[in-house]
Amino acid sequence: MLLQLRNIFKWVQLGGQRIFLLKDINLEVQEGEFISIMGPSGSGKSTLLNVIGMLDTFDEGEYDFLNESVHSLKEKYRSNLYKEYIGFVFQSYHLLDDLTVEENLEMPLLYKKIKSSERKALVADMLDRFSIVGKKDLFPTQLSGGQQQLVGVARALIGKPKLILADEPTGNLNSQQSEEIMQLFKKLNKEEGVTIIQVTHSEKNAAYGSRIINLLDGRKI
Amino acid sequence: MFRNYLKVAWRNLIRNKSFSVLNIVGLSIGLTVFTLIVLWINFELGFDRFHENQERIYEVNNQYAIEGEIWTWNSTPKAMAPAIKKDYPEVDWVSRYYYDTPFLFSVDEKRIKATGTIVDPDFLHIFSFPLVQGNIESVLSDVNSVVITETFAKKIFGDKDPIGELVKIDNADSFKVTGVLKDLPDNTDFTFEFLVPWDYLIQKDWDDNNWGNNSVATYVKLKENVDFNNFSANIKTLRKNYDKDSPDMETLLYPFSRTYLYSEFENGKEIGGRIELIRMFGFIAAIILLIACINFMNLSTARSEKRAKEVGVRKVMGAPKKYLIYQFLGESMLISSIAALLAFVIILLVLPSFSNLVGKELSIDFTSKAFWLSAIGIILFTGMLAGSYPALYLSAFKPSAVLKGTFHKANTLITPRKVLVVVQFSVAIILITATLIITQQLEKVQDRQLGYAKDNLIYTFIEGDIEKNYGALREELLKSGAATSVTKTSSPITESWSNTWGIEWEGKKENDKTIILRLMADDAVVKTLGLELLEGRDIDLQKYPTDSTAVILNETSVALMGFEDPIGEIVNDNGKKWHVIGVVKDFVFNSPFQKIEPLVIEGAKGWFNVVHMKLNEANTTANNLATIERVYKNYNPEYPFNYDFVDGEYAKKFSDQQITSKLAGLFTLLTILISCLGLFGLASYMAENRIKEVGIRKVLGASVGTIVTLLSKDFLKLVGISILIAIPVSWYYMSNWLEDFAFRITISWWVFVIAGVLTLVIALVTVSFQAVKAARANPVKSLRTE
Repeated sequence: MLLQLRNIFKWVQLGGQRIFLLKDINLEVQEGEFISIMGPSGSGKSTLLNVIGMLDTFDEGEYDFLNESVHSLKEKYRSNLYKEYIGFVFQSYHLLDDLTVEENLEMPLLYKKIKSSERKALVADMLDRFSIVGKKDLFPTQLSGGQQQLVGVARALIGKPKLILADEPTGNLNSQQSEEIMQLFKKLNKEEGVTIIQVTHSEKNAAYGSRIINLLDGRKI
Repeated sequence: MFRNYLKVAWRNLIRNKSFSVLNIVGLSIGLTVFTLIVLWINFELGFDRFHENQERIYEVNNQYAIEGEIWTWNSTPKAMAPAIKKDYPEVDWVSRYYYDTPFLFSVDEKRIKATGTIVDPDFLHIFSFPLVQGNIESVLSDVNSVVITETFAKKIFGDKDPIGELVKIDNADSFKVTGVLKDLPDNTDFTFEFLVPWDYLIQKDWDDNNWGNNSVATYVKLKENVDFNNFSANIKTLRKNYDKDSPDMETLLYPFSRTYLYSEFENGKEIGGRIELIRMFGFIAAIILLIACINFMNLSTARSEKRAKEVGVRKVMGAPKKYLIYQFLGESMLISSIAALLAFVIILLVLPSFSNLVGKELSIDFTSKAFWLSAIGIILFTGMLAGSYPALYLSAFKPSAVLKGTFHKANTLITPRKVLVVVQFSVAIILITATLIITQQLEKVQDRQLGYAKDNLIYTFIEGDIEKNYGALREELLKSGAATSVTKTSSPITESWSNTWGIEWEGKKENDKTIILRLMADDAVVKTLGLELLEGRDIDLQKYPTDSTAVILNETSVALMGFEDPIGEIVNDNGKKWHVIGVVKDFVFNSPFQKIEPLVIEGAKGWFNVVHMKLNEANTTANNLATIERVYKNYNPEYPFNYDFVDGEYAKKFSDQQITSKLAGLFTLLTILISCLGLFGLASYMAENRIKEVGIRKVLGASVGTIVTLLSKDFLKLVGISILIAIPVSWYYMSNWLEDFAFRITISWWVFVIAGVLTLVIALVTVSFQAVKAARANPVKSLRTE
């Protein structure tokens, strides 16, 4: 088992009232799964994804990741954990505009204390695999949305994560670009066994996954 | 990793050109000012500090209670040095220093005037002025020996070896050059070009054993391991055995190393001196650097939204917080390095003019390790100071918040930044008021009624044959029509050389030791100097031969002496009876910044050093001077004709204050400039951040005017707070500063109004430039981007 959420609650205090963002979420994810989280705006999809990605905290409940109790870990260990095992893909790509494609790919490796020669090899490998060698010296703003997201996925993968969290990865893309990214996810999941959890609005994209979780007002339905 | 940071930092700089320029220019101005002031301070602090064993060198001072107040002064009797030498074995070396005196040197046909002095042979043992040629033990042992500096040797002998050469001094005595001194460094108060042994003074019969005549400086160097406290207690009572008139006067040893920077005494206590000026500008240097750093912090944090995404992404990719802190600190180091480089170039360019401004030859010693270490230190420190707040602020962003796109600071002016702006503008306002007040004070003193006519008035020193030929010289000067009036005096009208508490008059209170200034004048003094006669008449030897013992009083001394009808009263001075023939209006004799002291002008029976001449206004000055020179050449052929204009000499009294005022003005301008750079940047980011709000308001019908007001209001509020803080602070400090001057302005309220309004207007212009731009933008565009 990759991760398990037990009775997760998250809320904010607003004018003396508790507004629940997540309410009693239970979820088990096995390695190799491809899960889609769906639901209307404000239903807590992104919040759930952030909690799983350890970018956000929760107020109640338990979270085990690879047999570690995330809820009792210190911030430093938590960040080591997600640095090691989780890759993120964002709707608006979130590439650094000041870095080239190659440098963007290299960036996560910098924080893992990997030697320069090894970094070079890993980046070259990734560029090759995604067929973007020719674009390695371009800046993100010089790429189309689809290409940017391709770089985003490559960056998420470069640290060899067990889990990829994608927050509406195709939200800013047209249908053809969407298709390509989803195919890529499917391939990664099938051939390399990478676990994927994605948030999506689209039924079509959700269908790529092996399981769909529906949320409404912070509750699993 | 490091390369990656550098790359990002560099690309960031390039991408945000206007931001980078604002930051770098602001910081480099701050660094330039800081460095210049530090160079100057360093120079001042190093003044006369190069003497070996300087902690053992002391200047001999006197201290005496007069009228309940303790006075301290540094001129001593000529007999003091021998007495010290005889009675105090703790003293290793002791030397007198006669005043700096111009002497005429002649070798063959060459005539060169040089300034030097007469000292005891110990002088070169006390102070470290190394000899290039000659033996320190013997250079000054012979009466007719002279030691000269390298430059002066070159001037007078050319490339010839000067040792053993003969020179004639003052056309009278032949001297043999026995030693050559290395040229005096820039940072010493001593200015002599030659030294002559004290024996010469004795030979000329200029020496005296009068303990009441305090006219030369005396320096001592104590033996090693002498306990100073014991010794100073011991020497305090030196005069008991020698000075019959004032046996209670205390002899005080004042550390020589403090003479330049401190040496101002009030009631027996050291109260500072030049050091205060240095402290003040040191403080200003630090403040300006701080303001520049504040700018940097403000601009960097204002841009935080732009960097928020990067922080988020990096954190998600696993960057620990400390790495981000390093990154942002590194960036500010990069900027401070670039700014330092730019500042360095500016400093090299402006250093000569700045040296000129402060009147000191400043330079940078590139070979010194200290220079490079402090340069690196300053870069690191500025980078640290400027980058610390942005680094901590930015690195604390939560990735989940910034990446979701919900990260928005509604108002760009968050509290710490407000505080920083208030600090900046408070300083700016304080500096503006200070500049205004300093300028006003200077103007007031410059406009002070002198009480004499300084225009077209020149003076020369009595030297060579002038004393001998004075009668004929004067006659011919008047006949030639170049001068309308000629008077011999004891000192130039701009300098008081003599004072005493020994003058007696009828009704003088016992123990009244008020100091009265002395001026001697042979004839027609009121006419020549253009004094304003209130009662009686001018000195006129022709008509009244008894006027050789006449005396003219100023108003203050009439008041002091309490004469109802001063004319005809008798005052005793120097064993002579002087009869009062006139009263003149008070005139400025010493410092124009101080109140006027009592003064007596004694007649032809006095002693004389100077000739004052009123030029004939009917002729051109050049013609007058040419005529006078011809006459002088006739009666004093060996000497070059040198003269000084009284108005020029008078103007020199303002040089220190003028430097202060110019520097204050300059720093004020720069502070305002730096603050405005910051405000401009801040306003532009604020306008950018509120662009959506502006769009909505415009769509709902707001006019450009109301939006400009809306955007500017916050800033102006801050400037308002600054004004409230600055006024009392500045009022307090400037009142303190003015305390130093007896003749001073009262601070008027409108100075603060001007400073406040000026700052408000400057701030308004700076901010509204951005605000108008934002207000005029097309709302459709700005709303669509959201």
